Amino acid sequence: MAIELLIKNGVVYDPINGVNGEKKDICIRDGKVVAEVKNPTVLDAKGRVVMPGGVDVHAHIAGGKVNSGRLLRPEDGRRGIEPKTTACRACSGYSVPNTFATGYRYAKMGYTFVMEPAMPPLAARHTHEELIDTPILDNATIPLIDNNWMTMDYVKSGDIDLLAAYIAWIIKATKGYGVKIVNPGGTEAWAWGKNCDLNDAVPHFDVTPAEIIKALAEANEKFEMPHSIHVHGNMLGHPGNYERTVETYDLVKGVKATKDRPVMHATHTQFFAYGGTTWGDFESKAKAIADYVNNNEHVSIDLGSVILGDTTTMTADGPMEYSLYQITGRKWTNHDVELETGSGITPFLYSGKVSVHTIQWAIGMELALLVKDPWKVALTTDHPNAGPFIGYPILISMLMSKKRRDESAADMHSAIYKRAELPSIDRELDLYEIAIITRAGTAKILGLDAHGKGHLGLGADADVAIYDITPEEQDAGKIQKAFLNTKYTIKGGQVVVMDGEVVAAPPGRTFFVTPECDPKLTEEMMPNLKEKFEKYYSVTFANYPVQDAYVPNPYEIKAPMRG
Amino acid sequence: MEVTDVVCPLCGCVCDDVVVEVEDNKVTKVKGACAVGKSKLMGHGRITSPAIRENGVLKDCSYDEAIKRAAEILAAARRPLMYGWSSTVCEASKVGIELAEEIGAVIDNTASVCHGPSVLAIQDVGLPSCTLGEVKNRADLVIYWGANPAAAHGNHMKRYSYISKGYFLPEGKKEKKLAVVDVRETKSAKLADVFIRIEPGKDYLVLSALRALLLGYDDVVPEEVGGVSKKDLLELVQMMKETKFGIIFFGMGVTHSRGRHNNIVNAIQVTRAAHKHTKFNIMPMRGHYNVNGFNQVCTWETGFPFSVDLSEGYAWYNPGETSSTDLLMRGECDAALFIATDPGAHFPGESIRHLSKIPVIQIDPYANPTTEFADVVIPAAISGIEAEGTVYRMDNIPLRLRKMIETEYMTDEAIMKGILKETRLLTLSRRL
Amino acid sequence: MQTIRLKLKEEVTGRNARIPVDASLLTPDKLFGKRESEIKAVNVWWGNRKENTGELFDVSVEGEAGSAEEVKIVMDGDLSRVKHIGEGMKAGEIEANGDVDMHCGAMMAGGRITVKRNADCWAGREMRGGELVIEGDAGDNLCAMYRGEMTGMTGGKVVVGGNAGECVGQYMAGGEIQIKRNADILAGLNMKGGKITIEGNAVMPGADMTGGEITVKGKVQDMIPSFKFVETTTVEGEEYKKYLGDLAMTEKKAKGMLYVR
Repeated sequence: MAIELLIKNGVVYDPINGVNGEKKDICIRDGKVVAEVKNPTVLDAKGRVVMPGGVDVHAHIAGGKVNSGRLLRPEDGRRGIEPKTTACRACSGYSVPNTFATGYRYAKMGYTFVMEPAMPPLAARHTHEELIDTPILDNATIPLIDNNWMTMDYVKSGDIDLLAAYIAWIIKATKGYGVKIVNPGGTEAWAWGKNCDLNDAVPHFDVTPAEIIKALAEANEKFEMPHSIHVHGNMLGHPGNYERTVETYDLVKGVKATKDRPVMHATHTQFFAYGGTTWGDFESKAKAIADYVNNNEHVSIDLGSVILGDTTTMTADGPMEYSLYQITGRKWTNHDVELETGSGITPFLYSGKVSVHTIQWAIGMELALLVKDPWKVALTTDHPNAGPFIGYPILISMLMSKKRRDESAADMHSAIYKRAELPSIDRELDLYEIAIITRAGTAKILGLDAHGKGHLGLGADADVAIYDITPEEQDAGKIQKAFLNTKYTIKGGQVVVMDGEVVAAPPGRTFFVTPECDPKLTEEMMPNLKEKFEKYYSVTFANYPVQDAYVPNPYEIKAPMRG
Repeated sequence: MEVTDVVCPLCGCVCDDVVVEVEDNKVTKVKGACAVGKSKLMGHGRITSPAIRENGVLKDCSYDEAIKRAAEILAAARRPLMYGWSSTVCEASKVGIELAEEIGAVIDNTASVCHGPSVLAIQDVGLPSCTLGEVKNRADLVIYWGANPAAAHGNHMKRYSYISKGYFLPEGKKEKKLAVVDVRETKSAKLADVFIRIEPGKDYLVLSALRALLLGYDDVVPEEVGGVSKKDLLELVQMMKETKFGIIFFGMGVTHSRGRHNNIVNAIQVTRAAHKHTKFNIMPMRGHYNVNGFNQVCTWETGFPFSVDLSEGYAWYNPGETSSTDLLMRGECDAALFIATDPGAHFPGESIRHLSKIPVIQIDPYANPTTEFADVVIPAAISGIEAEGTVYRMDNIPLRLRKMIETEYMTDEAIMKGILKETRLLTLSRRL
Repeated sequence: MQTIRLKLKEEVTGRNARIPVDASLLTPDKLFGKRESEIKAVNVWWGNRKENTGELFDVSVEGEAGSAEEVKIVMDGDLSRVKHIGEGMKAGEIEANGDVDMHCGAMMAGGRITVKRNADCWAGREMRGGELVIEGDAGDNLCAMYRGEMTGMTGGKVVVGGNAGECVGQYMAGGEIQIKRNADILAGLNMKGGKITIEGNAVMPGADMTGGEITVKGKVQDMIPSFKFVETTTVEGEEYKKYLGDLAMTEKKAKGMLYVR
């Protein structure tokens, strides 16, 4: 028998289908949105806000680095302790929650898809093992491919076809979703305790980060990839980095996309929108970044907006984490990964009493408000770097309420009035725009709209969030509360959250991309790759690829090569 | 049949280039493993049948009967302990953690008696580290501190560190320096360019002195610290400053001498101080092949790496209180499950005396001293030979063990699933 | 004044397994205003199951209290497997007539706890205020932080009549600890503030300290080699050597003071 649900009387925000706050019923059968149902279980949404399930474009929720963060911080673990229930496993952690808490808490916020955006290829099995243990959420993960010696070999020789063959191989070998770039060249340099700026030569490899980014964008567009390259550029977190950021965006302006989407997704842009020359004259340059994005069509961004309080920073950008630890003197973990990448982790407290943190807090929201087209912007906190994902509802309420922003700013460091734009911005996002930056737009940026995510059109995945507010709600506190705990979350046609409590925790699916490379190119690339394994890797070629056992609920997206 | 790229289920090195000959469903030849790894892969005496102790004597029974009896013991217990997990695959540990949650047990692995102090140290200061391939390709200074790989990790130097050749060090050991710090001149120390012998229990002091010297406070450091002259310390510091990429591997000589985890904190602090001059890393020499794997799984599933007390429905982590030997010495537990481990041989006498008073379940391929007092004995397939699954190398690299031989024995994962299912039936009826 | 007497029944810890009881709900603030029958009905963890307090303890109540300050809890019986006694308490008094198990007075913010014999590890962990008197010995990690935290005791006063274990006052940031006899290794480890006085001997005191003050009146064995001698000074008529440390934390941060004979 078909399992049917009918969501009645809700006010629906479904931007991909142009539905803006219409009273509309949603019919669900066997996990999909359908035109009609016969004998459904009825959920009365009674004028409440109904949206597609949230799609997070960038949150570090699984893998070696995240787990090293958990291991590093039992004190964070105890801040999120929840005992087991009939439906749920025991939970722990605030900025680095255990995998179960990650699934439950996202589901309670109405999210049903999360992208883990930084998988070290050599440790890919680890990321997948954690994704298996992350309940409810559909997911995908992007391998880091920019500091790889193979990549740099082909960037140096200028052979984009062979680079394409390599990225195809490694995306398949890791059951990954696309191409992730994190401090290109800089992480390799960090293996020697150094760093690289955009146009510096990478030590021993004779290529520049700029060349790496451009080449990977071109290689990515050799295939009909659902997602563009996903870029964390050079000099993250450094005062005065905004010019470099714009220069990075401009590198790929001439690259032609194989699909109707940008050619670069620039992630956690807040950390790249800094003016000034030191922490002393540090200021917001969000406007310069927003201007560029407004005037160009080839870049999408996500915010990396700050949530005040203690968090755990973690990134493949090893030298950045080292600099951060040098500032705080707190504990610091680093893990360099042979031939490929690295990572660093250190706890960090964002305080509204500190001028720099206050300006950082402002920049994230400025980007959301200054970029005119919401389809180009995604709401993130670069969880847990600028703050944990559990802070999204705070952020949503701020973006929807100038009053709330003003009240918060009044309690913070006065630098916000001198060296940030936020207090002078009047714009308030409406629910339609919120729906874009949290699900519709993010699904499009990731190319998931074609695979049933981010919308509620016929045939879409029946992932639905019903928030316990009416469209007229003006009270920022009530908006925040509603976005923290849904009235209902439905995942794949199953009610998983009811009245803010998780009632079922089915496993999620893992979306991965298979780039279909010309076998001749793969064959030509292979001797170089095998030599790397024979001489330099510490594991064998045969033991490297991720076995099917690590993707028990697969969803494959084929990416044909462009002729 | 020749099986290549076999992943060795012995120590934390997890060598994955072993070649094994299999004939008539038996391992007949092993190439590329160290002597101990080879012996493990060749196999030895097995527990032949599940058994339950009756009137002091183990009597053979079926898997179903043994699993049911194990479930009865665990479901009835008020403070059960579930320990071991370091010589099995992560898939079994996951079921184990779920069972521990179900019955309100303390779950713990062998880290609590070996590198648990290293984990505690990481929680104090973090761990600047890397994968073993980084060491192979870049490290021109290797320091073993309180570790003797020549005896305990047979292939470590050859595959990953001092003796290996790498991209930036194509000539291998000719281009590298080896320093060994220990309380006695070990086999590894004999290979070293520099051997520093310290007085037992004085690691902490020597490490503090090294930090002061690396930071340039030569004037405060006394002429001799922990039995080492200031001159020798300065020589080591000079080597550390001059290296392009240094690494400290430390072993149980540091984790189990006076100061325990604080020695490791101090050693990590040395690498932090060395970063003022160059790139420096540090890594624990993990013992069992998957001791790290359990810590990884336990961390992502409960938030904490080992010694996790789930008695009140949520995770409470406090080694020293919730670690196995402490629990047993304090006489807290009223039932114990041991999987892929041998507390009978490794735990202190006082713990064993307590174990003799309470019901004990053993799951293991091999008979060992624990079998002598176990009340339920359940034989298991050997992970990495008869069962596949995930393991984590000492540097956090996950690898998949292979299954090369067919077997009638149940896998650890299947046994744990059986116990979980039976226990659920019992606890459910208790709730009703 | 009200006196609540809780005597642990013999059968609770007199069995093969000595399973700990979690007493964190049995503090003056939490029991204030409850009648005897209500106290008996308070559900506490004993191993992995909850039991009524009355099943585990003989309970009797004498007198009336107008506030938690006026409540005194007297605990008797074998308390060596009763954990978390007085944990988080804010007011009132607890008197424990015997050895107590771990975490006694942890996160305590006010009131007074007297332990007539020894206290196991983690007594006074993350203590914020009030007074904890241990007439016998204290175990390891007295007044320390929880795993991974960087702040231990921040306020209050602790007196130990006997010896103390390893890492007394680790990450201590405020308050006062007095040890009448000896302290084991690494007293005042990572200390940031507050005061520790050890009347007897100490081993490797003050490692990684960045603030606060440690005075050792007996002998110091294995002085940390990264401390800087400042001067000889007189405290309460006795001559002490004053050291600044720990330079291993860098000179900028080394603001801890260590006084040794």
